[in-house]
Amino acid sequence: MDIQLKRGLLDVCVLAAIKNEDSYGYQIIKDMKPYIELSESTLYTILKRLELSGMLTVRTSEHGGRLRKYYHITKAGLGRIEDFKDGWREVMLIYQFVTREDMDR
Amino acid sequence: MTKQEFLTALRERLCGLPKQDVEERLGFYSEMIDDRIEDGCTEEEAVLAIGSVDGIAAQIIADIPLTKIAKESIRPKKHFKAWEIVLLALGSPIWLSLAIAAAAVILSLYVVLWSVIISVWSVFAALVACAFGGIAAGAIFAVNGNGIAGGAVIGAGLICAGVSVFLFFGCCAATKGILLLTKQIALGLKKCFVRKESV
Repeated sequence: MDIQLKRGLLDVCVLAAIKNEDSYGYQIIKDMKPYIELSESTLYTILKRLELSGMLTVRTSEHGGRLRKYYHITKAGLGRIEDFKDGWREVMLIYQFVTREDMDR
Repeated sequence: MTKQEFLTALRERLCGLPKQDVEERLGFYSEMIDDRIEDGCTEEEAVLAIGSVDGIAAQIIADIPLTKIAKESIRPKKHFKAWEIVLLALGSPIWLSLAIAAAAVILSLYVVLWSVIISVWSVFAALVACAFGGIAAGAIFAVNGNGIAGGAVIGAGLICAGVSVFLFFGCCAATKGILLLTKQIALGLKKCFVRKESV
C-alpha cells in the first residue's frame, strides 16, 4: 500500500481506538490487532504525531504501583475521524468504478 | 532478556540522541512490557514481543530529525571552566572555520544532488518545448508553401515528443533515486553522531 495513504489510515485507526474512552498504548495495540497489526515503535510515532498536531492529549495516571500514560481524543481528533468518513465515501465510489469490470466478468 | 537488560541495551544504542526523546521512548517501552506482563506474559515473552533492540534503535534514529541530533551533540555536557572558555575563544579561528567548512560540504552535497534533479527535468522541459515548437513551426512552413522544410521540422518535433516521453520515466526514476540517496546520507550522518557519542 502507498506509504502516505497507510500513514493517514493508521492515524485515524489510533484515533478511533480512543474515540469512546481514554486508552493506553498496549490496549490500543490489542484493540487494533484483529484489524491491523501495529508495532510498538510505529504506535509511538503515531501517538507523538497526533499529540503534536493537537488531535489527542496525554495524561499520566497511577496504575498498580506504576505510571501509565492515557490518551484522550480532542475535538480536532474527532473532526479528523469525521473528515475520514466523508472522504472515504468518495474513495469507495472510485473503488467501485475501478473494479466495475471485474464484477461484470 | 529481562526488561531491565532490554532497556539498558536500548539506552546504550540511543546514546547521543536528545535526552528527553530517549527518556520518553524508554518510558513508553517500559510501560508496554509491564502491560504485557500484567496481561499474562512472562517477562521474557513480553520483551521478545517488543522486537529486537537493534531494529527499534534504528527506527528511532531514523525518526528523529538530523538537525535535532546535531544540535544535541554539540551542546556542552558540562559547564566550561574559565580556562576552557579562553582556549575555545583562542581556538575559534581554527574550529569555527572547520565547522563552517564541514557544514558547507554537506550543503554543497545537497545542492549538487538537487541540481542533478533540476537539470534532468530541464532537459525534459526543453524537449517538450521543442516538440510543440517544432510542430507549430513546421505547420507554418507548410502553410507558407515550403512543404519539405515543414515536414522535416514537424518530424523533428515528433522525435522530440517521443524522446521526451522516454525521458519522463527516466526523470521520475532519477528523482526517486536521488531522494532515496539524500535520505540515506541523512541516516548515515545521524549514525555518525550517535556512534561517536557511544564510543
